[in-house]
Amino acid sequence: MTATPHAATPSALPPIETPEAQDDVRLLVAGQWQLMWWRFRKHKVAMAATAISLLIYLVAVFAEFLAPLPRDYYAADYTFAPPQGIKWFLENEFGNREFRPHMLGYTVEIEAVALRRVFTPDPEQVIELGFFVDGLEEYRLLGIFPTRKHLFGPKDPTQPFYLIGADKLGQDLYSRLIYGTRISMTIGLVGVTLSLVLGILLGGVSGLLGGTVDNIIQRVIEFIRSVPSIPLWMGLSAALPDDWDALKRYFAITVILSIVGWTGLARVVRGRFLSLREEDFVMSARLDGVSELGIILRYMLPSFLSHIIASVTLSIPGMIIAETSLSFLGLGLRPPVVSWGVLLRDAQNVRAIATAPWLLIAAIPVVVSVLALNYVGDGLRDAVDPYSR
Amino acid sequence: MSDNHRTDSDILLDIRGLKTYFHLDEGTVRAVDGVDFTVPRGTTIGIVGESGCGKSVTAFSILQLVERPGRIEEGSIVLNTGGQNRVDIAALEHDSEELRQIRGKDIAMIFQEPMTSLSMMYTVGFQMAEAIRLHMDVSKEEARDRAIEMLQAVGIPRPEQRFDAYPFELSGGMRQRVMIAMALSCDPMLLIADEPTTALDVTTQAQILELMQRLQEEFGMAIMLITHDLGVVAEMCSEVVVMYLGEVVEQADVDTIFHNPQHPYTQALLESIPRLGHSHEGRLNPILGSVPDPYHRPSGCPFHPRCTQVITGRCETVHPEISQLDPRHTVRCLLHEEPHG
Amino acid sequence: MADTAAASGKAPLLKVEDLRKHFPIRQGFFGRVVAQVRAVDGVTFDVYPGETMAVVGESGCGKTTAGRCLVRAFEPTGGSIVYRNRNGQEVALDSLDNKELKPVRRELRMIFQDPFSSLNPRMTVMDIIGDPLKVHRIASGSELEDRVADMLLRVGLRPEYMRRYPHAFSGGQRQRIGIAKALILSPQLVVADEAVSALDVSVQAQILNLLQDLQAEFNLTYVFIAHDLSVVEYIANRVSVMYVGKLVEKAATDELYHNPKHPYTEALLSAVPRPDPRERSQRIVLEGDVPDPAHPPSGCYFHPRCRYAQDVCATETPELRPIGEGHEVACHLAEDLDLRGITDLVPRD
Repeated sequence: MTATPHAATPSALPPIETPEAQDDVRLLVAGQWQLMWWRFRKHKVAMAATAISLLIYLVAVFAEFLAPLPRDYYAADYTFAPPQGIKWFLENEFGNREFRPHMLGYTVEIEAVALRRVFTPDPEQVIELGFFVDGLEEYRLLGIFPTRKHLFGPKDPTQPFYLIGADKLGQDLYSRLIYGTRISMTIGLVGVTLSLVLGILLGGVSGLLGGTVDNIIQRVIEFIRSVPSIPLWMGLSAALPDDWDALKRYFAITVILSIVGWTGLARVVRGRFLSLREEDFVMSARLDGVSELGIILRYMLPSFLSHIIASVTLSIPGMIIAETSLSFLGLGLRPPVVSWGVLLRDAQNVRAIATAPWLLIAAIPVVVSVLALNYVGDGLRDAVDPYSR
Repeated sequence: MSDNHRTDSDILLDIRGLKTYFHLDEGTVRAVDGVDFTVPRGTTIGIVGESGCGKSVTAFSILQLVERPGRIEEGSIVLNTGGQNRVDIAALEHDSEELRQIRGKDIAMIFQEPMTSLSMMYTVGFQMAEAIRLHMDVSKEEARDRAIEMLQAVGIPRPEQRFDAYPFELSGGMRQRVMIAMALSCDPMLLIADEPTTALDVTTQAQILELMQRLQEEFGMAIMLITHDLGVVAEMCSEVVVMYLGEVVEQADVDTIFHNPQHPYTQALLESIPRLGHSHEGRLNPILGSVPDPYHRPSGCPFHPRCTQVITGRCETVHPEISQLDPRHTVRCLLHEEPHG
Repeated sequence: MADTAAASGKAPLLKVEDLRKHFPIRQGFFGRVVAQVRAVDGVTFDVYPGETMAVVGESGCGKTTAGRCLVRAFEPTGGSIVYRNRNGQEVALDSLDNKELKPVRRELRMIFQDPFSSLNPRMTVMDIIGDPLKVHRIASGSELEDRVADMLLRVGLRPEYMRRYPHAFSGGQRQRIGIAKALILSPQLVVADEAVSALDVSVQAQILNLLQDLQAEFNLTYVFIAHDLSVVEYIANRVSVMYVGKLVEKAATDELYHNPKHPYTEALLSAVPRPDPRERSQRIVLEGDVPDPAHPPSGCYFHPRCRYAQDVCATETPELRPIGEGHEVACHLAEDLDLRGITDLVPRD
């Protein structure tokens, strides 16, 4: 450890440099995203939650491939058919047990008094399962490649296949949950994008201009936040014309969700602008002669972009819950659109739950995705400011 | 600072081999790494050093206030409250009744930023009275009277009214006075003052230093003054402990430290500061480099990379032991190790 | 060092006259202005080329606000700041808008107190130091890199470090980066706001020496804002003392330190702890606190704490007036008082 002789400096004593180990140098030249990633990586729960969230989004993207049955396929004969359950081994003709995953078909009887269908597994009807099986209909993977393949399903697509049961139209709940993922998870994203635009715009204007404009925007935000959100959503969605098609409705609902959602983001953005305006390095940039726009784009924005990302992640779960609640109440999305909320709506009355308790399974993906995204957001929030001491 | 032969009972606090480490993800920080010194009764001892030298952690260790991931690893902190009454604070349980009695009662502490140790939610008087009642067996009224008396003693005008003031209603200097009043209200034997005037202006600093000196005469407690300001040390202390990177590098009475320093760090530190009335003596003599970060503690003598008197080949590898130069002057430097054995 | 430029008859680089900066205190739903904090309230001084003019005072005295007005980080409420630019033209800084200020900003730079908050943690050292060059279209690309490297060497840092981020540096090194950033545009005047007070004592000396070397090398003029009187004595040629937004005394450093004329200056000097136990000074302990600049006392702002105060002090505000060669003071009693300077405060052996 010796002080290296320095190139000539006028006279000021050069500070002694301690030689660094290689991994330290990596830290010294690491930018904010690198530092954030290192810190985020340490948050084990957040890492696991990130993996789960990504998985859920993958499900949303490849829904057609992952769901064994087409979205709107129904079979009236199998109303409220119970979960079949997978059996792994099958006796072959020689009496040996062989690994052949399969399910059993049903024998259906209609109970005389209650007019209810009673399903009993029928060992005679073996429905063999396989990977990469052909489905009933052709679809386009990612909207481009036409194919009939599904990840797994019955080798004969006409046979009944109810992994976790059927709903009242005899539709496969499992397939529909997968399709629901797409709508439920994207409505959060679209809604948040919309709130983000509104939030950054209005929050930024509020924080940068200050004065009367700030005052007005803040009062508006306070007003919106003081209105209870569920009744507000209910009122707005009740106002939607009944004859709108599914797509129109979908976008209308995202707009409604973001009407409340933007206020939180706007406050975050405004707060960051206000505090950054006072930072010495911002004043220093101003004294360098950097223009206002340059200060905002090159100094302020990078400083709170990470905060915005964390806030956004944390607000997606709220959107998912909001969609689910609205659809559950019958005010959001409606069939034929499939979302988790729409599916849960089938489990609204006691009779349905008594006959088909598996309908409640639709709540599980809601809980899992909301928790996962919350943990991701938490992890991000802890990691966003790697310079805090 | 008269006698060279202190008897055992003159020692109020005896710290031996104190090690406080912080176990962080990035590695272990040896914030305090084998510190020995004693605090005699009724005197003011100064602990000086730059940021990261472990002076504050030492103070926090004395009250076992070091929080996780920090931990006292080794060493003893023996408090002699009189007679044969000795307690090793380092050996006490973290939340034991005994420790709580020592904190605030026998040893009180004031901090750099008084706001952090006063609650904004309660009046100054309420907080003081609570502290008094915690340690002394007195009624509410007696506690109140005692608190007002203490506010008076620290020179707060109209103490009856200030008793009902909230901390944010007071100026920085006033808050520090309240902190001192609170610290002294249970008549401690040792007052640990961690940078008590660093956040204050010079004229307010002068007020607080004056106050501390006066109160020491009145109450007779020992003061452990932790500061980076050599001026404050010279004005206030009778003994000085100089720390660098968690170690005591030199310890002596104040006159020796300022006029006959033996450790190159002490010498360099004294040469590097601008002194009033000495500006014509030319350029300042800074210490090379800066305090190394705690994860890269230099080998051997921790000061060797910045030392101008470094013995090449020895200081990099050998960690110096403490040498006793005379009964009250110790130094940790290889330059002094050999001639004195 | 006391032979100031003032005496040699040079024209001032900066003429500050009756500078005022008031901050409104707003209250209520509509932000009604209920009072004004007179942070800087009528400050007048000149700064001569090549000198170091120090502004000292305690927190809340307005020295930082005054400094920020000089570099036009703040817009002054009133008064004038006239700056003589490199071409010898006089520019009225107080009335320029942002666009007109841009060329002046090249010559008028600032060093900040806190080496941690004044550097953008998300930029590399090269971007931090080089940004002013880009903004003023002086250099770009490899030329910019060369100039940054050269500047780093001059402030005592290795050019190889330019790809690193501020978090890689210690407080002292960061302050060197801050200095490099200020000097990269080859300014005439540098306002250093508490440039060394956040640093460790041993590093403080390095930075003070560096500032002096750079001053000689680049022929800089400093306005050095500080609260530490020992540092100021070391670096400044002339000193202005501020108290609650006003200048109370102004003189050459030696004169001010040895022959103060304002009771506040005397108290301030006496309060500085001496790093020598044999020089334990007789402190003059002032009563009370610095008044709130929103509600200053009547007459001389210092009179409630002044041990020499007379009746006149409570009623009449003293003006800053000359009392000797380059020495000005705002005290009614200046001639009658025999105040103690730094040498008188120390018991002689």
